[in-house]
Amino acid sequence: MALSLKNSINIKKKNRIIDKITRGGLLIPTILSASFVILIVFFVSMRGVSPFLNSQYGELSVDFIRFISGTTWYISPNIYGIFYIIINTLYVVILAALLAVPVSIFTALFIAKMTPRLISGFFKTVVELLAAVPSIVFGVFGLGVITGIVKNIAELFGTQTAGGISTLSTVIVLAIMIIPTITLLAVTAINAVEKDLEENSLALGATKMQTLFKVTLVKSKSGIFAGIILGIGRALGEATAVSMVAGNSGTGPNFNIFNTTRTLTSTMLLGLKETTGLDYDIRFSVGIVLIVLIILTNLILNFAKKKIGRFS
Amino acid sequence: MKKNNRFIRDRIYQILISLVSLIGLVILIAVFGYVIKNGSHLLSWDLLTGDYYSEVYDAYYDGNPVTGSEFVAPSNLDNETYFSTRWGIALKDDLDVEGHHYILVVYVDINSPLASLPDKNEEGNYVSVTSGQELGKIIFIDEGYNIMNPTDGAENAIQMFDENSDIYNIILTTSGKGIRGSLITTVYLIVMTLIIALPIGVLTAIYLHEFASKTNKIVGILRRMIEMLTGVPSIIYGLLGAAVFIPFVSSISNADGGSLISGALTLAVIILPVIISSTEETLKTIPDEYRQASLALGATKSQTTFKVILKSAIPGILSAILLSIGRIIGESAALIYAIGTAIKDEIIITERSTSLAVHIWSVMSGETPNFELASAISIIILVVVLLMNLTVKLAVKRISR
Repeated sequence: MALSLKNSINIKKKNRIIDKITRGGLLIPTILSASFVILIVFFVSMRGVSPFLNSQYGELSVDFIRFISGTTWYISPNIYGIFYIIINTLYVVILAALLAVPVSIFTALFIAKMTPRLISGFFKTVVELLAAVPSIVFGVFGLGVITGIVKNIAELFGTQTAGGISTLSTVIVLAIMIIPTITLLAVTAINAVEKDLEENSLALGATKMQTLFKVTLVKSKSGIFAGIILGIGRALGEATAVSMVAGNSGTGPNFNIFNTTRTLTSTMLLGLKETTGLDYDIRFSVGIVLIVLIILTNLILNFAKKKIGRFS
Repeated sequence: MKKNNRFIRDRIYQILISLVSLIGLVILIAVFGYVIKNGSHLLSWDLLTGDYYSEVYDAYYDGNPVTGSEFVAPSNLDNETYFSTRWGIALKDDLDVEGHHYILVVYVDINSPLASLPDKNEEGNYVSVTSGQELGKIIFIDEGYNIMNPTDGAENAIQMFDENSDIYNIILTTSGKGIRGSLITTVYLIVMTLIIALPIGVLTAIYLHEFASKTNKIVGILRRMIEMLTGVPSIIYGLLGAAVFIPFVSSISNADGGSLISGALTLAVIILPVIISSTEETLKTIPDEYRQASLALGATKSQTTFKVILKSAIPGILSAILLSIGRIIGESAALIYAIGTAIKDEIIITERSTSLAVHIWSVMSGETPNFELASAISIIILVVVLLMNLTVKLAVKRISR
């Protein structure tokens, strides 16, 4: 009896040790997974700082003030000014959001509130499939279809475009790509609104649409805003499709929607030939600016979201 | 009266919203319609299995002079195809993807003397004229040399075939523009990426859900850092690949610059958050009774986790795999940096090559974008990605029921 008790205590001890080892072993992949964010920031910064260092590029090295405030970008003879590219990027993304947000909210209302389950399920699947379409396919579609439409629109206004490659094409492609993101989050937010609230509004004599706009949307605006933040983040970082329709203008900022534009991501992706040298390393500097821009935008929008959420 | 107005306005809003919600459907149909219209005629077994780079062969005829005209044209040839009864070959004028005229071999009779010709450049090697090849310059011998230039057109070429009994020299170009290399690369990337990311992702999810304490601050920070990965744009992952994985792979293997391994490592980081969150979601759905029952039977926590919980989490892990495959197939920006954009026919994992998506980028970013090939590859990508997503959706519905 005593022996078996001792035995069982021993086994318990052994088991506890095994569990500790397992826990420790599992911590390794977890720390590895978490470390990639640090790896990204550290190594991209290391590489992205090098164009500004005399020790790396000597006389060729780029002046940081000129880089951050410049309004021209030519690979040869090494003129790198990123200021106008930042402005163009923000301009394109804001226009895309203005286009995408109403469409997304309407689509979300339609899916969540206005149709029988079968139809709403169908439309939700459509939006989910749209979200799964890869960026490169939207690029092909953008260059093959949207630039053609934009070219025709420009001719209606009596102006010329570079074969439809323009700010407007970029805006439309981006809007198409962020509509699914915003819509899906908006559907979740709208579905989370308590039924009682809407029923109360209807009982008070409000019409269905008044209820949707003045009760449901108001109540779910915080969740919808979260979707918009996600969509804008995605739009800022979107590279392949944007590069195919943006045109990479050499100077700016450009606010004419029929002229070519240049975003941070298209600057990084287009004309990539060498994998060493100043022209390659400067793309990492653009990468740092992109990361900073995304973080700042997120912080500002999240701050705004809190402000908006308070007044509901 | 006022009430009526209200309802009219209601109706207008309703119609407006319904119309706007059609936009998503219209875009999806337009995308599909465009790639199918432009690419479907290219989709063929030859496209999937063919080389991207065309090869030029230089051959001659070494048999007896061909004098009879016993070959019969197959019945399915159209009006623009010309047939030589003497040599048993059918030709047609065609335009290549860049818009140049060339003579296309449409059909070669199996008994035709052209079915096996000795290679001029490699002794003992035989070249066969087959459908899909491009016909180059031919020097015939009959009563003297007769030269057929490819610019003469298919009708002239057939006339010369019928008039001449021997071939001194024939130049053939295999069709090219096939995507076999990129197809194989994509499969390699999927397999390698999953092998790297799956264990790390699943184990991380197990730690976070089963072992880590919910209130520990450090665990919270780790979790936040992993969540941050989902917000990183894919081009930044490309920079990570270029700055970290390319030098890393170069230092441990004979790779020089970007390689499939550096690409797979980069993709692994991209799909890691997908695998972790999907696995953790399934772990959440496993009832605590399972864990308690297993522990009560005397199993250790480790045994419980790996023998009971992990087994129940398999459906979630499978759906994570499907979603990851979709992501890997569609990924372009990251791979442009982490591997490169050079299309290859021979695939070696320590060398560069393109996935299907990057193949599209390569053919679209040249001087003359090749919309047809890009659309054909897009069809393949879209079908695979959408099937994966629909399968996951249906499976999740099934399980949750």
